[in-house]
Amino acid sequence: MKKTILILGIATAFIFSSCEPNNNTTAPDSYIATFNSRIDTVRDFAADTAIIAFGAAGPQYAGKYSFYSLENDSMVPRLDSNTTKWDIAFSGTIILVNNTISGPGNGGGFVYSGLYNSLTGVPKDSVIKTDVSVPNNCAIPWGSGNGWYNYSGQTYLVNPIPGRVLVIRTASGKYAKVEIMNYYIGGVTPDASETLNEKVAKQRYYTFRYSLSN
Amino acid sequence: MRKILSFLLFIIFVKQGIAQKDSSVLKQSTLDEIVVTSTRTETKLSNVAVPTTIINQKTIQQAGSLRLKDILQEQAGLNIINNGFGQGVQMQGLSSDYTIILLNGQPLVGRTSGVLDLNRIGINNIKKIEIVKGPSSSLYGSEAMAGVINIITDNNFKSTSEIGIRYGFGNAEKNWILPADKAAAKNFDFNFSGATQINKTGIHFSSDAYYVDAVSIRPYSSQLAVQPIWRLTNQLILNQKLSARTSIDLNIRNSYDYLKQDFAVSNLGAVSTSYGRETNNDLNIYPSITHVFNSKIKSSLKLYATKYSGIQKLYFVEKPDSTYSDEFYQNYYRVENQTDFNFKKNRLTVGAGYNIDEARSSRYDNVSSNKQNTIVSLFTQNEWNPSEKLTVIAGLRYDNNKLFASAFSPKLAIRYKINDIISLNASIGRGFKAPDFRQLFLNFTNNAAGGYSVFGSIDAIKIIQQLQQLGLINQLTSDYIKLSSLKPEFSTGINIGGNVNLHNNLTFNFNLFRNDIENLIDVKQVASRTSGTQIFSYINVKRAYTQGFELEATSKINQQLSFSTGYQLIITADKDELENIRNGKVYTRDLDGTVRLLKESEYIGLSNRSKHMGNVKLTYNNNKFFATGRLIYKSHWYLNDINGNGLLDNNDESSKGFLLLNFSAGKQINDFLSVKIGIDNATNYQDKNYLPSLQCRTIYFSTNIKFK
Repeated sequence: MKKTILILGIATAFIFSSCEPNNNTTAPDSYIATFNSRIDTVRDFAADTAIIAFGAAGPQYAGKYSFYSLENDSMVPRLDSNTTKWDIAFSGTIILVNNTISGPGNGGGFVYSGLYNSLTGVPKDSVIKTDVSVPNNCAIPWGSGNGWYNYSGQTYLVNPIPGRVLVIRTASGKYAKVEIMNYYIGGVTPDASETLNEKVAKQRYYTFRYSLSN
Repeated sequence: MRKILSFLLFIIFVKQGIAQKDSSVLKQSTLDEIVVTSTRTETKLSNVAVPTTIINQKTIQQAGSLRLKDILQEQAGLNIINNGFGQGVQMQGLSSDYTIILLNGQPLVGRTSGVLDLNRIGINNIKKIEIVKGPSSSLYGSEAMAGVINIITDNNFKSTSEIGIRYGFGNAEKNWILPADKAAAKNFDFNFSGATQINKTGIHFSSDAYYVDAVSIRPYSSQLAVQPIWRLTNQLILNQKLSARTSIDLNIRNSYDYLKQDFAVSNLGAVSTSYGRETNNDLNIYPSITHVFNSKIKSSLKLYATKYSGIQKLYFVEKPDSTYSDEFYQNYYRVENQTDFNFKKNRLTVGAGYNIDEARSSRYDNVSSNKQNTIVSLFTQNEWNPSEKLTVIAGLRYDNNKLFASAFSPKLAIRYKINDIISLNASIGRGFKAPDFRQLFLNFTNNAAGGYSVFGSIDAIKIIQQLQQLGLINQLTSDYIKLSSLKPEFSTGINIGGNVNLHNNLTFNFNLFRNDIENLIDVKQVASRTSGTQIFSYINVKRAYTQGFELEATSKINQQLSFSTGYQLIITADKDELENIRNGKVYTRDLDGTVRLLKESEYIGLSNRSKHMGNVKLTYNNNKFFATGRLIYKSHWYLNDINGNGLLDNNDESSKGFLLLNFSAGKQINDFLSVKIGIDNATNYQDKNYLPSLQCRTIYFSTNIKFK
């Protein structure tokens, strides 16, 4: 798995603070937590990419999850899936948080509609959900148009919905805002005219950025 | 071949100079033609209050058109769309599901996923095609939401017989080709017609056999397949005059298609070869009896039966045991009476019909289980002519359906002749499309792709309740409660337009239109199984509008040369999407990855609509010779959302705009023999992704022999 972490913190923090200098301090009481201005970007995070069979039925996958620790900026081995070391897990388009049936942590989450930069904190009236059943009743809803992505039956492409930010409560109870930027290797959605084979070979590689709470 | 091209251009542009002007002949305007589709009674085109176009036999023959698609694509404002289930016609920005196709006033059936493939309909030996735009459900009921296309067969019984042969060829891969070229895509047409009158019985028979190496490209694979297609159409028309006032007519038409499509698909190296075989059979039987009681009252009783079957089979070379079979059978029966009353200034039409529509399919729960809907329809229309200048038409139709909600379709149309030069017309009407059998009874589970299911709305409730009792339903979505009552889709259409006739040799037609569509049916998730698989069904959820204008100009430059041009502008929107954009709920992602709010000006609307469409046609005609050049333009259209916001904005996938150029020329050699040559798609325009079924440049020759 290829993984690079890019820190855009300083530059973004500067722009951010110059635009809305008082946003974090004017009404701190209305937030459960406010987000740090540091942004980490994770690229090409593979989420169950190994095809075990391919026939007329299309690709079949092992159904395995890839785990990530937002707090430690690192991938977590699958052996540690039943621990509180991870905060978010991916398998295809399914996203889990570390809580209830998914893991032993205190995780949770919901999908916020709006721009990443304008989400400065977790509002007090937020309803933070947990994973009740996989995949149909998750904190981050699964399915085209339900949560973070739209899938087109015409182009066979998965595209993150612009203006959707995942608010994740980590296993330890901190908060993070996560924006899924792309679902394909290299962070580039294949051209609609590419063949299904080409599209399948490139899918299930997440590019996302996130900021933790202070 | 370049010589032929320059020859045609020579004829078109040079002959113009030497042609003589004779204004007395020019007086015969197309406005004197008789049209039946606009009012269901014979009316002069110059008195019709709704946008109406007539394509006559001569135009069809000169354009070298064989299938309904060929000639419709040369009309401004008609957009031929291939959605993977055949080529349908988009009218006033509404999909082909919403245009009714009639044969002598009776509906053709056998739609696949809403599309009636226009290639199924041969147009050899027809008198004319009438096109009425705007909601016409007040006369024709379901499907006549965007408009009506009525194909009127040639029913003249003058003793003649005619044989026509046509041979054409093209090669998608090469620029210009020779007929001897092995890889040439050929097409061939043989037709025969004969008519005679024996005592009081008129007989007209015609037959057409057509073969084409059609080209088809699998979407997003660029795999080109030559698809041999055979199409056969036979038609018999009988007319018996019982008395001076009573006559019996019988129209029988049978059409048969056989399509082969063989291709190999490679899935990550695993090649599977499949052979596709498709047969479509269409039978229409239409007897009618008409009695003229007196100069004021005329009545006709019409019986109509049509039977359609479409069978597709797919054989896999690697897995000979697993044949995929898709069968669809539809029967439609109708009894209808229409009576016309002619008073001084009023023309009243009343009618009533009883219709049975039935279908069975392997796409439903069981291929042998017959699904049936019965429709009782009542309609009336009054045309009032208080003065020579003013015509007011009011109509109303009521359709009572056994399977779903009934529909009321009113219409009001006004035409006012300001003077000999300008006339204006305006109409408002309501159109509807009843849910089709697929939307009510589809029973499809895709075991190949994860096991999701799509059920028709009637079956969905039953199936989900059964699954609930077995404890197999995990959750119902908020859309589930909307399932209980699938309603027809409704539209309200307004058309405002007119004609300007300048000195009889320059005519302008214009029309502004707006269609507001409610209750549009869409596929939505209604439940999920405990296994995680989703269940989808059909629900009335969408609202949309289409609006635009159409402009047409025709000019007789001189006795031989005429010029016409047309243009259509279309603007469409899904009203809920537009509302979400206005409420600041929709974002877009630019190519550099920046996410920002979407502006209303960036919104595209409905997919597959070319905003601008146009055509230019130049025709040279003298007694013995004709030549035409036709240019068709379509601006780019948007297809799929690729930035994830679920709607189309100008960051999304779009095709390129294109131009098509067709030429044809013919000569009457003597009383018996005529010859014709033509080039379709002269520039050999191709677009594998977005116009997969557009035929490459095709050159054809045809000969016609007429016996009197």
